[in-house]
Amino acid sequence: MENHRIRHSLRAIFSSFLLIVTVAAPCFAGTPTDGIKKTTDRILAIVSDPALKGPENSKKRTALIRQAVDERFDWEAMTQRSLARHWQKRTDAEKKEFIALFGKLLERTYLDKVGSYSGEKVVYVDETVDGKYATVSAKILTHSQTEVGVRYRLKEANGDWGVYDISIEGVSLVNNYRKQFNSIIVRSSYDELVKKLRAKVAEKE
Amino acid sequence: MKKFDLELSVGLFMIIGILCLGYLSIKLGKLEVLGSQGYQVEATFANGGGIKSGSSVVIAGVEIGRVKQVRLDDYQALVVMDLPTDVKIQEDAIASIKTRGLIGDKYIEITPGGSEQLVGPGGKIRDTQSAVDLEGLISNYVFGKL
Repeated sequence: MENHRIRHSLRAIFSSFLLIVTVAAPCFAGTPTDGIKKTTDRILAIVSDPALKGPENSKKRTALIRQAVDERFDWEAMTQRSLARHWQKRTDAEKKEFIALFGKLLERTYLDKVGSYSGEKVVYVDETVDGKYATVSAKILTHSQTEVGVRYRLKEANGDWGVYDISIEGVSLVNNYRKQFNSIIVRSSYDELVKKLRAKVAEKE
Repeated sequence: MKKFDLELSVGLFMIIGILCLGYLSIKLGKLEVLGSQGYQVEATFANGGGIKSGSSVVIAGVEIGRVKQVRLDDYQALVVMDLPTDVKIQEDAIASIKTRGLIGDKYIEITPGGSEQLVGPGGKIRDTQSAVDLEGLISNYVFGKL
């Protein structure tokens, strides 16, 4: 009887250990917040590097930042979500081209502003993981003590977390582009949208 | 015989009147008599912004369903929506809380996604956008500047 009980509790311990191992396994990829933090710190280091300051270095700086962002962003997921209903109708070549164009557009739109960085801090507030999806909430603290809420949405792919959407003060980037892309495609055509994007990217070269 | 006819027609008139009244109250009150025909989908918002059961759910400006229930879940707003079976919601659809006009009613807008996976009955729309808190935004910039 005693023996039986011991065997029983041993089994319980073993199975709970197994449970911990299997539950903990996906965490080996690092938590989503770690990923975001690593990339953000890398970008902040680039931006505050005195050797890269000034307009003459802006090309080099942009390239370095883009490299850091590429590692964290899941461009395909982001583009797919932005094109939404129109994504499935595209051929593989079109998809590839659009991913590149969209990436360029975001780079032109947002990376130019990175130059105006003046020591804002990033605080990580919260993280929720739901299977293959995660959300990371952060706050950007400016000098004037204004808080700007940022929410990253991530998806796990190949053991790493990739960002597919960013919400700033509750406004989603993907939703913004999804609506614009949809209205352009519905009004004219996909080709027209690509033409528009190309013009937009070229104008800022 | 004549009197009987009169009574019969009055009775019929009354019955028709009551039926009309019933129909009107169901239609105007937007009640469901036979239960909902569609399926239910959940979404969690950081800020419900005053959405309530009965608020519309809209795709491309067309009302397709209604909010069935709003409750608090881990200090966030959990909204249950009733949608008709013929409207499919993709797994990457985005649900956002919008306001009609500047200070109007709140409603939920769903922007359809492009994923092949659909949100089934009882499923959850993962990507949500809370009500934009205008007051909060203003106070951020008013009180933030020290």
